[in-house]
Amino acid sequence: MAPLKYLALASALAGCGDLEGFGGEVTALATIRFEATGDFEAVRVPGATGEQLRVALVWAEQWLPEAMCILPPESPEVGAAVAAGCRNPLSFSPDRVTDNVALGDGELVLTALPAADLMVGDVTARVAYASLVIYDDRDETGTLELGRARRFPQGGFDPGPDVVPTRDVIYGASFVAMTEPDTRLAFREGDYLESGFYPRRGCGVPLPAFSVLSAGGFSFAQAIAATAAGMLPSQDPATCAEAKPEDTVVRIPFRVPAEVQEVGCDQRREDSTVRYRQPPDEPLDLANLTYACAKIPAFGGETPPDLIQLLVASPADDRCKGLTHYTLFGCDESENLTCDVPEWDFRANPPAWWPCPVSP
Amino acid sequence: MSLRGAFAFVALSVTSAAAQEGPPIPSDSFDWRAGESPTIDGGLVVGFPTALPTGMSKGLGGGVTFGDCPLRWGARAAWVTATESTAAWEVTHSDLRLRLTGSAQHDAGRGSLGVRLGAGGTLVHESRVRNQGERAGLMGDALATSAFAFVPAVDLEAVVGLHVIRSWLVVVSGGPSLAIVDGAPRWSWTAQLGVAWRR
Repeated sequence: MAPLKYLALASALAGCGDLEGFGGEVTALATIRFEATGDFEAVRVPGATGEQLRVALVWAEQWLPEAMCILPPESPEVGAAVAAGCRNPLSFSPDRVTDNVALGDGELVLTALPAADLMVGDVTARVAYASLVIYDDRDETGTLELGRARRFPQGGFDPGPDVVPTRDVIYGASFVAMTEPDTRLAFREGDYLESGFYPRRGCGVPLPAFSVLSAGGFSFAQAIAATAAGMLPSQDPATCAEAKPEDTVVRIPFRVPAEVQEVGCDQRREDSTVRYRQPPDEPLDLANLTYACAKIPAFGGETPPDLIQLLVASPADDRCKGLTHYTLFGCDESENLTCDVPEWDFRANPPAWWPCPVSP
Repeated sequence: MSLRGAFAFVALSVTSAAAQEGPPIPSDSFDWRAGESPTIDGGLVVGFPTALPTGMSKGLGGGVTFGDCPLRWGARAAWVTATESTAAWEVTHSDLRLRLTGSAQHDAGRGSLGVRLGAGGTLVHESRVRNQGERAGLMGDALATSAFAFVPAVDLEAVVGLHVIRSWLVVVSGGPSLAIVDGAPRWSWTAQLGVAWRR
């Protein structure tokens, strides 16, 4: 019986150790420290009160602007519509908001990696970038809701508005556009290959796993010139920095919402394609909108359709910029107006309110 | 009260010893014999983990049993492991179950049926790995931790044995198990399928 006594004694004394199971505090995968800089009062929306300033981690997506927003405008009217409806072609484009904390917390604790669909590259070399965005959580959801450009009515089948009803106001972001100095959170897995995904040519490679990167940016003209030469635009190496998250603090300057609100605008199309729409039966209120009649743009080698489109820019007070394209001929499935069977054709009988010529 | 006396109480409900050997079956081509103490057995063990709130533990177990029908005593050991995950953790529990046993058993022909009570402790080794931690560059305790704990436990199992050939038996057992984890009782179950040998 001696062994039984010893075993019973050991059982009584040992009890339970430090087993955690699935419980306990979840270890952070990374902690990003941040601070807001500048004067909030100087950028505050007039009349706004009771702001709930928070910081969101917004992961980037690949995005190509439509041709109309890059090519030189064919007329001052088109230039005005492009200016009103096109965002900076080198803007940061958001894909997903994953984390939100109060601005006063000063740090963002990451407990999950960015999902695979946020990373660009293959499994041996891929990277994801994110911007830290200061916003006023006006709708009190605790998270930043991404907006979308307004979609004007169309004829035929109209899926209706899909504007995300968000009232959040963005007051700053660490990464706004490639044309400005940026500080971004990077997550790199495997090797690093230079690509056109928010390029940092001339800077050091992102550190493995999470890192905080800075760069000075480049101009749109530099980007066009580099692209024409088959290269990536270069950053000034003197402006570059790469650091582990624990070794740096991300500084986010307060800015006027109009300058940074596009950071929170999800793009309807990411591949530069355009959806041409059927003109609605009811006339648009063009008197209060910026619009223009324009040829269908085409890059070199393509033959543009013999059509004139009506460009309507989103209103100036909308959170997100966008262009709506109407044509008198088209089909929903086609992105270049080549339709075997057109779903609408008003070339012989345009709507009474149609402000453009039928053909160039 | 002695251990034998304690199990005698359990044995009251068990029919007293029957024939050690059943009448020969004319068509039986597998010779068998009842054998003598001790009985050594081993096999596959499955069950609910001792301290993990979910999962299925699998492993090996065995034991030795002394004595003759109806009351016997012995010792058992089993090693089982279970791995389960959440979004944050992958947790592996390896349980080393150590028991002293007493059983009441009724033999009938080739078969035997009994109840076995085991008391002792389970040494639990816990290994936790932070999911996604390696990809995020975590190292050391931030990536993985381990811990040991020894918890008292008792098992109550039904045991069925069947002589197959000579001194070899097929043995199936299973039943509830009770452990004291973090000062609170935790019920689980255990089962074993294996073979046994009697001298």
